Amino acid sequence: MKTNDVILKTTSHVVFFIIFLFSIHVFLAGHFAPGGGFVGGLLTSSAIVLLLLVYDLKTVQKLLPINYTIMTASGLVLALGTASIGMFLGKPFFKHYFDHFYLPLIGDTELHTAMLFDTGVYLVVVGVTLTIIQSIGGDD
Amino acid sequence: MAFQILLNFFIAFIWMFLSTNFASSNFVVGFILGMIMIYIMRNFFTSRLYISRFWAVIKLVVLFMKELILANFQVFMVIIKPKLDMNPAFFAMQTELEQDWEITLLSSLITLTPGTIVVHLSDDSKTLYIHAIDIDDVDSAVDSIKNSFEKAILEVSRS
Repeated sequence: MKTNDVILKTTSHVVFFIIFLFSIHVFLAGHFAPGGGFVGGLLTSSAIVLLLLVYDLKTVQKLLPINYTIMTASGLVLALGTASIGMFLGKPFFKHYFDHFYLPLIGDTELHTAMLFDTGVYLVVVGVTLTIIQSIGGDD
Repeated sequence: MAFQILLNFFIAFIWMFLSTNFASSNFVVGFILGMIMIYIMRNFFTSRLYISRFWAVIKLVVLFMKELILANFQVFMVIIKPKLDMNPAFFAMQTELEQDWEITLLSSLITLTPGTIVVHLSDDSKTLYIHAIDIDDVDSAVDSIKNSFEKAILEVSRS
């Protein structure tokens, strides 16, 4: 029983981009506003889960050829590496550094190493969520 | 269509560089100048002017708002009637729309106006099956949808 899902497909094409943009916004807002790596990662995963609901596993794997295991591992390495910057400079573990930089187009920006740690968290959350969903959904 | 918008942006950027004023207000001035130029040169383009398409989109939004208010009022009248004498019905409607986004837009507009819901789409995407809460004459309902929403969407997508 295959029904005609033109409406679902077309709507999901539009909504996917909106969710993805919102996830990036929430991820970047984590320092001064509610948000951060965990919520951003879950939102990105939910955007990809929407694609999984509309298409099947193989199509999405073709669209986004990402090995989610490697993604999780690289996220962990990034988080640990950021945490151990301070150790090499004679400061305690998890010491963070920040400074103001003048970036073109954006202007005065505060760059913080906590952002890198957050990126690690983000990658781990996306990787773990999609690994779970793919391994549950993929037993043919 | 997309080419014309790109050209208009390009003209606006050239205007900004010519006047060496990179404020956003100057960009808007260049954009309006580009619009006027594209309108003057409209016979050179193979497709329709994007300005008229944009106008058709605005007209569609206004039409949808009008239909939404009217249909809400009709459903309200059905609800507050003491006697329950409405005639719910399913009916099929042939559509002339071709592309996926047009069909999605038409279905969404029909569903968002209260009293009618699209419940199914045939496999060749040519027939919409619609449920109506209170309907006296199926042909007139089909005609009203065809003459309002479908005509407005065709007006937008006409190349």
